[in-house]
Amino acid sequence: MPLRVRLTLWYGSALALVLIIFSVILYAITARSLRDTVDESLEETAMTAVRSLEARGFLPLIDEEELLSQFPELTRIDKFFQIFTPSGTITIRSPNIKQHEVPLSRTALEASFTGQSTFESAKYPKEPPLRLISVPIMYRGNLLYIVQVGTSMESVGETLHRFLVLLVIAIPIALAVSLAGGWFLAGRALRPVDKITLAAQRIAAGDLSQRLSMPPAHDEIGRLAATFNNMIGRLDTSFRQIRQFTSDASHELRTPLTVMKGETDLILRRPRPIEDYKTVLESNLEEIDRMTRIVDELLFLSRADMGEVKVESLPVALEALVEDVHRQATLLGHDRDIEVVLGTIMPVIVQGDDLRLRELLLNLVENAMKYSHPGGKVEISLLKEGQEARLSITDHGIGIAPADHKKIFHRFFRTDVARAHTKKGTGLGLAICSWIADLHKGRVEVKSDLGQGSTFTVVLPLAPLQLSKV
Amino acid sequence: MRVLVIEDETKVGSFIKRALEEESYAVDLCEDGAKGLDMALATDYDLLVVDVMLPSMSGLDVVKNVRHERVQTPVLILSAQSQIDQRVKGLDAGADDYLTKPFAIDELLARVRALLRRGATESPGILQVDDLLLNPATRDVTRGGQRIELTLKEYALLEYLMRHAGRVLTRPMISEHVWNQDFDTFTNVIDVYVNYLRNKIDRGRTKKLIHTIRGSGYMLKAD
Repeated sequence: MPLRVRLTLWYGSALALVLIIFSVILYAITARSLRDTVDESLEETAMTAVRSLEARGFLPLIDEEELLSQFPELTRIDKFFQIFTPSGTITIRSPNIKQHEVPLSRTALEASFTGQSTFESAKYPKEPPLRLISVPIMYRGNLLYIVQVGTSMESVGETLHRFLVLLVIAIPIALAVSLAGGWFLAGRALRPVDKITLAAQRIAAGDLSQRLSMPPAHDEIGRLAATFNNMIGRLDTSFRQIRQFTSDASHELRTPLTVMKGETDLILRRPRPIEDYKTVLESNLEEIDRMTRIVDELLFLSRADMGEVKVESLPVALEALVEDVHRQATLLGHDRDIEVVLGTIMPVIVQGDDLRLRELLLNLVENAMKYSHPGGKVEISLLKEGQEARLSITDHGIGIAPADHKKIFHRFFRTDVARAHTKKGTGLGLAICSWIADLHKGRVEVKSDLGQGSTFTVVLPLAPLQLSKV
Repeated sequence: MRVLVIEDETKVGSFIKRALEEESYAVDLCEDGAKGLDMALATDYDLLVVDVMLPSMSGLDVVKNVRHERVQTPVLILSAQSQIDQRVKGLDAGADDYLTKPFAIDELLARVRALLRRGATESPGILQVDDLLLNPATRDVTRGGQRIELTLKEYALLEYLMRHAGRVLTRPMISEHVWNQDFDTFTNVIDVYVNYLRNKIDRGRTKKLIHTIRGSGYMLKAD
């Protein structure tokens, strides 16, 4: 069931319940108060009659003519009266009752002997109900007479009936009007929700650049729209990043494919000397290595993104790791005529994964060598500063413009100078370094300028064991 | 036909150069965007082959600048980006054609031929001067139905002469379009090659097609 229908029905039922309870109470109170008015008026008339009898010294009444001439209010058409003897026989009664016998009831008679007034309702066939008051007249503890005043309840009954009819007609009308109003209001309140749904459908269909138009009021709907827009914004950004990443990855993979396809295609166009084929195959092998490297690194990064890379958390002696990498790098540097030297090396223990840290350091040292000029020097140093280990790799190579310092950690980013210097980079090495540093709650800092060489510093927090000693 | 290839991937650049040279084009290679633009503006190339991702200036900017300088040389863009919006950007920048990497050499050469055809005043596929026919697609040359075998350089020279038949072509013009930038302008290589061509085309025929214009250069014409 649509929310609008449900809201209207809930609202309608609640309103109907309230109206009915209200009407029942109102009806009861009205009926009660009407009867009370009748009773008061009866009592007043009865008391007047009693007083008139008292005034006459309780002498037996001669006839009603005499009484009526003395108390004209007793002649009012809507009331009748009778005076009974203690035995219950009528001594006198008003003329407007002549055609009916209204005998004194047993309860009234019994109450009269104890000196109590009685209110009663009486109903005779084909007549409107009567309301009666019976008042005893006592003299020195003896019951002399019983004065009874009565009136027809016809007008009260009519009033109540009209009131009931009014309620029965008015309640459904009020309910219908309120339901219509409720339906309209619910629709109005829910219209922004419908609008949001429509917009959300459009956005879900693929256009993430769309946003919901914000309602001016800062209400529930406004907050919903803002939250929704916020969510779409974040989705948009991450989709864009993924698209950018995919496009970069495809570009990086297309380049070696282009080389392989182009060179192979060209060499096969006509018969060539055997050396030419060999050259192409060797070149293809290089490209295959390059693609393998890209694919490996991509796989590593995507697994890292998914949190699927297992990482140890053990104390690692960085100085030992540095010496290992230094040995490895010295061998590599020998071929490229680059000297790798150790600067100040302090013993430092950090908490982390030995393999990953080794990869991080080796990556940075290889980078330093890759972007050094032949005959250049790469220096590794390891310092303890406060609560941090600072592992620096310095080269005197091509350097990085300050504007690019942040970008070099982006996946696939390579500076123009770096691209021109060597074709060997994949643009992923520093992204991996930065990921490993993050994992160890550390960071990679860069100090460099174009042509001035670079210093990459890995800053890592010390292992807790060591912290307590310091 | 002289072609400038601006491509920063050394291996890609060199196989394109080699493929084009085997088709008798004179090819210059440049690995940098800004330098490539300078070369494109300084020399009257018949075709530019431009990669999109280049150091110092993107391929699209190179094309825009070339067009801005009112140079109408046909441009073929090479790119690893295959999405439609990238192609549209390339073509809107002023390029005449767009080729996605990786590509087949045959397709590259066919597109180069198509662009050169368009550049040379809407000439049909087969060039003809009198009874001399040259088919750029197959590089078959015949005169009076008789097949003529030419070396790569001779063919390149003849194609250039035929594409500009009826016009006087100076030695610098010929060297610019038929040889690449390594050509030494102080030699008489052009005269030597024109002689080779005369031997193969005009020798023994009453109607000579290659004419020497004294003091200026050469002209190919029917009368």
